[in-house]
Amino acid sequence: MAKVLEVKNITKTYPGVVALDDVSFDVEKGEILALIGENGAGKSTVIKSIAGAITPDRGTIVIDGKAYEKLTPAMAKEAGIGVVYQELNLVPSLSIMENIFLGDKVGGKLMPDFRQMRRRSEEIMADLGVKIDVSTQVQMLSTAQMQIVEIAKAVVKNCKVLIMDEPSASIPMAEVENMFRIVRRLKEKGVSIIYISHRLEELFELCDRVTVFRDGKYVITKKVSEITKKDLIRYMIGRELTEKFPERSVKPGEPVLEVRDLTGNGDFHINLELHKGEILGLAGLVGAGRTELAKMLCGDVKPESGQIIVKGRPMKAVSAADGVAAGIGLVPEDRKLEGVFLEYTIEWNIPIMSMKRISHMGIVNFKEADRLTDYYVDTLGIKTPSVKQEVRNLSGGNQQKVVVAKVLAADNDILIFDEPTRGIDVGAKQEIYKLMNNLVESGKSILMISSEMEELLGMSDRIVVLYEGKVSGSLAKEEFSQDRVLELASGM
Amino acid sequence: MSKVIDFCRRNLAWVLLFVICVVFTFTSNNFLTLSNLLNILNQNAYIIICTYGIALIMMSGGLDMAVGYQMSICGVLCAMMLTGTGIPMPLVVIITIVVSVGFGALGTLLEQLLQLPRIFVSIGLSTVYQGVAYVITNSKTISGLPDSFKVIGQGTVLHPSLTYATILMVIGGIVMSFVMDRTYFGRYVFALGGNEAAARLAGINVKRMKYAIGCVAGFFCGIGAVILTSRVGAAAAGTAAGTEITVLTGVLVGGVSVRGGDGKIANCIAGVLIMGLLANGMQLAGLNTYYQYVAKGAIMLLVMWFDAFQIKRRAIAANKRKEERAA
Repeated sequence: MAKVLEVKNITKTYPGVVALDDVSFDVEKGEILALIGENGAGKSTVIKSIAGAITPDRGTIVIDGKAYEKLTPAMAKEAGIGVVYQELNLVPSLSIMENIFLGDKVGGKLMPDFRQMRRRSEEIMADLGVKIDVSTQVQMLSTAQMQIVEIAKAVVKNCKVLIMDEPSASIPMAEVENMFRIVRRLKEKGVSIIYISHRLEELFELCDRVTVFRDGKYVITKKVSEITKKDLIRYMIGRELTEKFPERSVKPGEPVLEVRDLTGNGDFHINLELHKGEILGLAGLVGAGRTELAKMLCGDVKPESGQIIVKGRPMKAVSAADGVAAGIGLVPEDRKLEGVFLEYTIEWNIPIMSMKRISHMGIVNFKEADRLTDYYVDTLGIKTPSVKQEVRNLSGGNQQKVVVAKVLAADNDILIFDEPTRGIDVGAKQEIYKLMNNLVESGKSILMISSEMEELLGMSDRIVVLYEGKVSGSLAKEEFSQDRVLELASGM
Repeated sequence: MSKVIDFCRRNLAWVLLFVICVVFTFTSNNFLTLSNLLNILNQNAYIIICTYGIALIMMSGGLDMAVGYQMSICGVLCAMMLTGTGIPMPLVVIITIVVSVGFGALGTLLEQLLQLPRIFVSIGLSTVYQGVAYVITNSKTISGLPDSFKVIGQGTVLHPSLTYATILMVIGGIVMSFVMDRTYFGRYVFALGGNEAAARLAGINVKRMKYAIGCVAGFFCGIGAVILTSRVGAAAAGTAAGTEITVLTGVLVGGVSVRGGDGKIANCIAGVLIMGLLANGMQLAGLNTYYQYVAKGAIMLLVMWFDAFQIKRRAIAANKRKEERAA
């Protein structure tokens, strides 16, 4: 097969570090190539080089036989490179078709030709096999639909190579299959795809070949049919991961959190129990009500009716302050938006939830605050040169640990982890899992909301599955299977 | 050397203030005298007291443009109560401050009720205050205030230029610095300014905090109004108009970001003093109030640009560090 993209000996250095070290690989016409590696392996640097967002120090990029030393974003687009970034870049108030042609002139010099725009948009959507009214405003769409618009936007101009950065991370589990279908359709039309993902299972389902990066270096390219997941992980981290989900010895005890007939927001109606020393997995599709439940449990959202009983005492919550007072701490889904104070230091972040407790007459005991910080930086193994480091300078895994430290420092016994390992690389995931184990072993209880099947099956003592705001099933450890969870999650 | 630069960056407002003072010392014979310096403090005392509240709002991520007319209306009310009713002077002062606290809370109430950012609410309220102040005074200046009241702004101790107002300003500054640096209330204010959603989920009662901040701002604004009225010895609807720009610019010069979450009370004092000195210098150079507006506006644009530039620079630096670490 013909090579549509060749990356030849690319090196990119930043002051003090080599982000890409003499990297070469190629993409064949009409194939789906997976690009994997831990955070910091150089995936995003290489993508940015191909898309023209950065200029490498050395090396050549050959697109469809034409060699480029220096690419600009406009040149890359012209040459047939399309990129769907992890975060969506659409204008919510404009229609689908206007978004697809954003930045391109359709029709006359002054007035856009909307009829032509509509026709061409409809053609693209038909090509992708999607039925949708292209004059719908983007803000009315679901995340998955927005992603489809992003794909349409990327392929509108004679796209030869489509780069997709973690496309499955931002959409619901149920929609992933549909996205795959679109990707396969593009492949049939001769478009090559570079597919980046942290979810290894997906690669085996979707991709033809896989290229592994580690520490800024190219490691290997293999046919997906000729490699196992275990090998992939070994290539990615450069060592064998002995046990993915560490064992723990603690057995769940008496109930610490009981949810009785909790209702709110339409169809929502939940009953469940969390025991001491237990990790209870909470599964379900996006929109099944998991995050709403989490927010109600921590007091942030007020339920319409029903009871939340914490250690035998009914909790009356009007704000998250009451949840914290009752001993329930939330590690939110969106770390940056809801979890940490990015611009402040580690020593500022960790004691913030404990401020009132360590204050006397409103005056903070800063010695105690420093002690808390040191203790948790140490216990959780937060890697940083100094506690005076701003949190935004930390890696995703370490930021997550800061959130956990903040919640733990407030003496919460019941912890709600909403997607605890989202956007964290394999090594850091391991550490978060170990940390969760240590927590339940020390007598805490954890409610873990997760969309990652392996994590749910590997970490939970019990799994409760939600479907459209109601508990559709509860699985004990011996009943765990991926199929069962998926069935319950889709209401079967 | 880098330590010196770092010190200057962190205390930019004080360094600037020092430079301006040095310049004035050489250009004017009377500048570096105790009475002149005390006079400058006295002239700016009411603005600085007001600044404590506005700085708090800005540190928590809000922006309040109503201080000017809020002070005006409070001053007018104070003067009317003193001249037109038999309410004893101390009680009038207390009522004035309580009303101002109420105005501060009203700002928060509308912010919550209408789900609007404070800046919009305050611009609306400011216009309402302005109108009401003109209506109740009939556009006339209220004078003939009792001497016992004038003492607050004009009375002195120890030195003929050291006024009670100045002393109040210093005490207020010390208290507020302490509150911001040492109490959990101060931490919570910064938490709100840094990331409101995270603050809420961390168990901080955001609503209550915003009311508290609004009330504190109203409290200082009320004190400012009393001092201003007492110092001038009269009140009119337009007396304090434009103060909000001086305060806002002073706070920005003092290093508080428009995005909130940063800053020190002491630096804000320096910021307002810089504004005061520049106005004073222009006055001495024979440039009237209208020229001063031009200068104030230009400085405001300059510091806002600088603030935006700093935010961008820091974000780029953080990204770079992260990429380096990742790579």
